[in-house]
Amino acid sequence: MNDGDETYIMLLLTDSNLPTGSFVASSGLESSIAHGFSSLTPSPLVTFIQDSLPTYARSTLPFVSDAHRVVARYKEEVEGSEGNVKAGGLEEASRQLAELDELYDTMTLNHVAKRASKAQGVALLTLFSKGFSQPPSLAAYTDAESRDKESKMRELLDGYKFKVRREDVQGHLPICWGALAAALGLKLERTQYLHLFLHARSLLSAGVRLNNIGPYGAQQLLLHAVRPLLEAEVTKCKDLQTGFLVVPGGNFNEPTQGPANTWPLGEILSSRHDLQHSRIFNS
Amino acid sequence: MSDPPLIAKIPPGNGRIHFISHGIRSTFTELSSTYPLKLIASRDGTDNVGLVYILSYGGGLVGGDQIEVKAILGPDAVLVLLSQGSTKVFRTRPSIRQATVFPLQAQSTLSEQLATTQRLDFDINGALFLLPEPVTCFKAASYNQTQTFRLSPSASLAVLDWFTSGRRSLGEDWAFTRYYSLNEVWIADRRIIKDVTLLEKHDPTPAGLPPRSLADKLAPYACYATLILCGPLLQDVITSISAQYDQISVFKKSVPQDLIWSVSQINCASVVVRVAGKETETVKQWLKHQLGSLEAVTGPEIFQKCFA
Repeated sequence: MNDGDETYIMLLLTDSNLPTGSFVASSGLESSIAHGFSSLTPSPLVTFIQDSLPTYARSTLPFVSDAHRVVARYKEEVEGSEGNVKAGGLEEASRQLAELDELYDTMTLNHVAKRASKAQGVALLTLFSKGFSQPPSLAAYTDAESRDKESKMRELLDGYKFKVRREDVQGHLPICWGALAAALGLKLERTQYLHLFLHARSLLSAGVRLNNIGPYGAQQLLLHAVRPLLEAEVTKCKDLQTGFLVVPGGNFNEPTQGPANTWPLGEILSSRHDLQHSRIFNS
Repeated sequence: MSDPPLIAKIPPGNGRIHFISHGIRSTFTELSSTYPLKLIASRDGTDNVGLVYILSYGGGLVGGDQIEVKAILGPDAVLVLLSQGSTKVFRTRPSIRQATVFPLQAQSTLSEQLATTQRLDFDINGALFLLPEPVTCFKAASYNQTQTFRLSPSASLAVLDWFTSGRRSLGEDWAFTRYYSLNEVWIADRRIIKDVTLLEKHDPTPAGLPPRSLADKLAPYACYATLILCGPLLQDVITSISAQYDQISVFKKSVPQDLIWSVSQINCASVVVRVAGKETETVKQWLKHQLGSLEAVTGPEIFQKCFA
């Protein structure tokens, strides 16, 4: 995939109408405001992003990265010179995604965050099969080889979606995001960057909807405040791993390289979301 | 020549506990520890309940100390594990205890060698109530804690893992370098909880943004606690705490409350409770109140010593 193709995919993925947009989740922002925390700082939305983004990066990016690696490896086999996936390759990739998903589930103890993550995760898998597959009306104009490649990628992601529907696996957002982006051919660095960008943007959209900031103000923050934060966090967390994919004998040091929650207050506020007397978001 | 005593085979800072029940009474078939760790069984244990204090020489841990405790609790054996005073973690400095004889691991980095580490590994067939005082990291301290609890399907567990902002009397407020805590709960072969908290001295804020320190992020609270509750002996506590939580209805507040808490259900017999408070004492009293029904299991003498 060349740079232009990748840029085009990025443009599509940042569309705020997609489930990557922010119509259900405030990731604890609504609860934080309701609990009086916006009184502690002159610019509550900026500080909320400053606190939320690092913990989100530290806890989810390792999963995004590992899920991306799993699917990118499978895609490489599909698109390799032989065009053949090794026997059991599909099952292997699907099983690895399931294990990452399971690990993320045991590490995400906050029930509100868990619920939001699963809702958005499965929506991303649906997006892949419904929004990014080739329309049947154009299929006749495509060569058999690329149709075959596409169907092999769909086999993995659709198959995974059925597992989510059957509740065999959880379908958490970071795993589904990493898988979707890799299936579309987005490189790891861009996948990581976009993941955090979408989180920050969804916090800002939530701020607009909560009447905490106007749409122009949100746009200003997205350019001037979010960008430096985002770059700092990607730099800090891009090499983190879940520990799951490490080859035996590899030197994975969990306390320095593994996922972690870095904002215990955010955990409590986000968990208390459902206790609000009135609320507009789902998380 | 006779074999060296068993204790000589245990590396420094290590402890072992083997506690089993014989129907109406329990006994420690092993209870050993080596400098700088001390494990002391209290004689207050009645029936199936045992009480052990986990202590360190000098009342705190210094950089480079590596504490490791392995324990096995037999069926029906109930162990209450407490500390005396908060676990103080002194600053990391490039010298380690004189008496430390274990070789530093060649592959670990300098900062890891200097960090204070504490590992607890428990096989639980009966019940463990791990209710220590909070960890207090002094200025520039670096602390790594890893706790693994392997439960049989009928076992029970209450784990309190908490920390304070430091020595506030000396003006230290979130002034430590690093705090890392990992808690894992396994039931049979399935891991149900992996809870990882990491607090680090903040990186410099990117230019153009208001500075945001660790203290700012965690304000206005000075004490954070995580309480993991699992299994049949904790059901009364779980039922009561969940019922109180469900009663809460938050109307928009103008300022944060003095104490805030949440409950997340993990499965039908386990919950994770998180609490934050402006004062450690408020959090302690809240926890003691919530865990009050454990007194029926431990007996009043032992329960009095928890949160004393």
